[in-house]
Amino acid sequence: MKQIKGFTGPELKKELKRWLIYSVLMTIFCSNICPAGAVGTEDSGENLSASNGGIFDRIITYIKSLLGEENVQSSENVSGASTAGMPSTAGMPQSAGSEGTVLKIATPNVIKSASFIGDSNLGVFAHLSNPPLMKMDSEGHLVGQLAESYNVSENNTCWTFYLRDDLYWSDGEPVTPEDVEFSIRYYGKKTPWASWINETLESSTVSGVNNSVTFKFNKPYTRVNLEFATYNILPAHIWKTIENPMEYTNNGPYVGCGPYYLKLIDLNAGKLVFEKNPYWKGKAPESETVEVHFYSSVDVATLALENGEVDTYYKYAGSYSYSGIEQLEKTGNFDFIEKTDIGLVFLAPNLKKAPLSDEDFRDALAYAINYEEIVNLETLGYGKVPNRGFVPPTMENFKETEKLEYNPEKAREILEKAGYSDSNGNGVLEGKDGKDIKLEILIRPDYARTGELLEEYFEQVGLDSDLRTADADTWFTLKDKYEYDLTVTRSTPWGMLMHASWGSGYFDSRRTGQGVMHNLDDPEFLQLCDDILATTDPEELDGYSSELQDYYAENLPAIPLYWNNVVTPYNRHFEGWYTDPLYGIYNLDTFLNLHEV
Amino acid sequence: MRRCEAGEAFENNTLKTVSGTMREAVKKTFRYAASFLLIVTLNFALPRLMPGDPVKNLIGEEVYVSEAVMEELRAEMGLNRPIYEQFTAYIGDLLRFDLGYSYHLHSPVAEVLRERIGWTLLFVGVSVLLGAVLGTLLGAYAGWKPETKANRLICCGFIALSCTPPYFLALLCLDIFAFELGLFPFKGFYDVPTPGSVIHHMFLPVTVMAVFSASRNFLIMRGSVIQEKGQLYATYARAKGLYDISILFRHVIKNASLPIITLLALDFGFLFSGALFTEIVFSLNGMGTLIYDAIIGKDYPVLQGSFLVIALAVLLANMLADLLYAVADPRVRRPT
Repeated sequence: MKQIKGFTGPELKKELKRWLIYSVLMTIFCSNICPAGAVGTEDSGENLSASNGGIFDRIITYIKSLLGEENVQSSENVSGASTAGMPSTAGMPQSAGSEGTVLKIATPNVIKSASFIGDSNLGVFAHLSNPPLMKMDSEGHLVGQLAESYNVSENNTCWTFYLRDDLYWSDGEPVTPEDVEFSIRYYGKKTPWASWINETLESSTVSGVNNSVTFKFNKPYTRVNLEFATYNILPAHIWKTIENPMEYTNNGPYVGCGPYYLKLIDLNAGKLVFEKNPYWKGKAPESETVEVHFYSSVDVATLALENGEVDTYYKYAGSYSYSGIEQLEKTGNFDFIEKTDIGLVFLAPNLKKAPLSDEDFRDALAYAINYEEIVNLETLGYGKVPNRGFVPPTMENFKETEKLEYNPEKAREILEKAGYSDSNGNGVLEGKDGKDIKLEILIRPDYARTGELLEEYFEQVGLDSDLRTADADTWFTLKDKYEYDLTVTRSTPWGMLMHASWGSGYFDSRRTGQGVMHNLDDPEFLQLCDDILATTDPEELDGYSSELQDYYAENLPAIPLYWNNVVTPYNRHFEGWYTDPLYGIYNLDTFLNLHEV
Repeated sequence: MRRCEAGEAFENNTLKTVSGTMREAVKKTFRYAASFLLIVTLNFALPRLMPGDPVKNLIGEEVYVSEAVMEELRAEMGLNRPIYEQFTAYIGDLLRFDLGYSYHLHSPVAEVLRERIGWTLLFVGVSVLLGAVLGTLLGAYAGWKPETKANRLICCGFIALSCTPPYFLALLCLDIFAFELGLFPFKGFYDVPTPGSVIHHMFLPVTVMAVFSASRNFLIMRGSVIQEKGQLYATYARAKGLYDISILFRHVIKNASLPIITLLALDFGFLFSGALFTEIVFSLNGMGTLIYDAIIGKDYPVLQGSFLVIALAVLLANMLADLLYAVADPRVRRPT
C-alpha cells in the first residue's frame, strides 16, 4: 500500500517534541532579553531607565552579555549622555522618589524626539526644570523669574537682567550670569527660530558684583522681556561641549535649575519624569515627582483622567475637550479652572481683493454672522461673543470696544448703501463689477462646521459662497498666495503676543510665517506697530494698544468669531493652581504652591 | 533502441524543465529589480509632490525668521539644489546605506527606523502571526462543517469583527478592559522596561490587532475550504477511508491556504507600516505614527526611509509567497 505523504505517527510526535523544545528555548531567550536591558539601567544608577532603545538594542545587549561583556549599557542614549558631559545622578542627593507624592499631568502635546532643544513640546515642559529669565503673571504682566529685576536703556537697546542669587543647578553648581549669557547666545547661534538674537545682539557683558547680565542690541528692541519668557536657561558648563544642540538627543537626566530637574524622557512609555532639584533654595514644592504623560488620542486622555490615572490635563494653547467636561464633573473628583484664552478663532478677509477690500462690505459681513450660535455650537457655551476690537479681555491693556452683533437686516442695509444690489433678481448680490458675488471661503479642517455656518449666514444676506476645505499645507500655500476671499483660522497665545503684540503679528504685511495672514499694509496700522515696537514705556504702550484695538474695531481687518475659554480640570486632592495667559497652568507658581488636601 | 529514445526524451524533458525554471527565475529577478528601481524613484518623488514646504514646517506657524535664515536652512537640508541633484544625492546615499537625517526627530533615519521597526514587529508581527494561526485554523474548521450552529455563530462573530473599524474596536476594548475593568494600562509599550510591563501593555493592542487579522483570515479560509472540500481529491481521500480531520489537515488545508499565503504577503507590508489607528489609541511609538508625523511635517528623509523599508518588505514577502506557492501547489512549479 502506498504510504500517505506527510508525517506518520512517530514522526509527528518527534516533530512536535522538536517544536516544543524550540518554543521553550525561544520563551527563555525572549524573557531574558528584557532583563538584560534592565540590568544596564540599574548599573546606570536609575530606577526608571532611559529606555528608548528598541527591541534590536535589547537583542544586541543580550548577545553582548552572553559574550561576557561587562558594564553593558541598556541604552545607547544613556551612554551618549555621559560622553556628552551630562552628569549622572549617581553623585546627586536623590529625593524621596516613590515614597513622595507624584503629580501626573496628561497632555496631547506628544514629545516626538528626546531633543531638549529641538522638540518644541519638550521645550514648553522643560520650563519646569530650566525656567526662563522672565515669566508672565496671571494678569499678563511680564515679571522676573530667574531674574530678580531688569532694566532697559532709554533708547531700548541695552537690557540688563539682575539674577536671583539663590539659584543652583541640580548638580550643585550655582547659576551664574554666564549661564544666562551663554544660553541666549547659544540659542541665537544654534537654533533657527532664535536667529533674531544672532542678527541683532551686538554685545553682552556679565557682572559678578551685582549678578547681572547685559545684552546690547544693534537697534531698539522692546520685546526682549517677552522673548526671554520663552527661552529655557541652560547650564553653560554642560551645554558648551555640545556643538549641535538641535541634533543632540538624550533621554536624561538633564541638569536643571528649577524646583525640579528633568530626570527621564521615555518616549516608549510616553512620559517625562521630573524629580525635585536637591539644590533648590526657594519655596519647596510638595510633590516629589512630576510626571507628564502624553496621549496620542484626546479621548484616551479623557478616560485616563476620569479613571484617576492622572491629576490634570494640559494642552498648550488649547482647552480640555468641552464635550468631556460634564462627564468629568459627574465623577465628583475634579474641579475646573476656566479662563478666557488670549488666542481666538477669527475670520480673515483677503484685503487685497474686492469686495473684501471694501470696509463697508466687511462691516456688513460682521453683522451677517450669528455669533451666539457659533459660540454655542463650537464651544458648548464655554466661550463668549467677541468685541470688534479683536483682543480678548484676558490680554494686558484690553480695551472694551463694541460687541459684535448679529443683525442680518442691518447687514443687507449696509450692503445696499455700499452699492451691492441684486439687479437681476436671482437672489445673489452683485459686486461693483456687475457680476454675482461668490465668496470663496478657505477652511482649515478644524473649522469645517464653522465654515458651513458662515456659508448659511452669508446666503441669508444674499451672498453666495463656496467652501474650500484644505489640509494645513494647502492652506498655508493658498493663504500665502492670497488665493481666497475669506478664511477661518485661529491665533495662539504666543501669536497674540508676537511682533507688536495684540495680534498685530498676524496682519502686518511685512511679516511672513505659516500661521500669519500678512494681509494689512495700511500705513496707519504699520505706523502703529512701529510705534509699539519703539517703546517700553507702560503708559505709552497702554495708549497704543487702545489705538490698535480701535483700529481693529473700525476697520475689521479680521472678524473675531468667538473668544473661547481654556478649561483645565484638576484633581480636587490638589490645591494651589495658578494660571497665566501664556502657558496656562504649566508654570512654576503652580508647581511651587500645589499641595494635597 | 526504444529504451534509448525514451531516455533521450526524458533527458530532453528534464533539460526543458531546468531551462524553463531558470528562465522563470531570471524573469522574476528582472521583475523584482525593475520594481525596486521604480519604488526607489517613487519614494523620492512622492514626498516632493505633496504640497507644503519642509523648511516652513520646521520653523513652525508663529515664528518669524528672515529669508536669509530660511535659505540657509534650505541649503543645510539640501533642498536648494536642483531636483536631479537631490535625486542623485539620494541614490548615492542609498548605495552607502545612508538613509539621511530626520528634520523633525533630530536623529539619523536608520536609527529611528531601527527602533520603531523593532517595537512594531513585536506589536504588529505577533498580531499578524496570531491572527494567521487563529483565523486559518478556525476558518478551516468552520469551512469543513459550515452547517453546525457553533460554526455559524463564529462566522457571524468574525463577519461583525471584520466590518468593525480597528480604531473603534481598539477604543471599545480600551474602554472595557482598561477603563471599566482596570485590567490594562491606557498607553505606551511599558511603564518600566521589564518583560512583565511590556506584556501587560501590549496585551490589549496585540489582541485587538490579532482579532481583526484573524477575522479576515477566517473568512477567506472558510470560503476556500468550502470550495476545496467539494473537489474530487477530497472525495477520493474519503473513499480511501481517511478520517475527516486527516482529509482537512493533510489535503484540503494545503490547497485552501493559497489565498491565505497571498493575504499574509500583503500583511507583511502592513507589518512595517504599523497600524496607525491602533497606535494612536494606545499611544504607541510605532511605524504608523512615524509615517503619519513625517507626512504632516514633510520630513522627506523619514518618508523615503520608511517607504523603502515597507517596499522591500513587500517585495520580500512576494518572493516568499512565490516560493510558498510553489511548495503548496505543484502546478506553480511546472514551466508554462
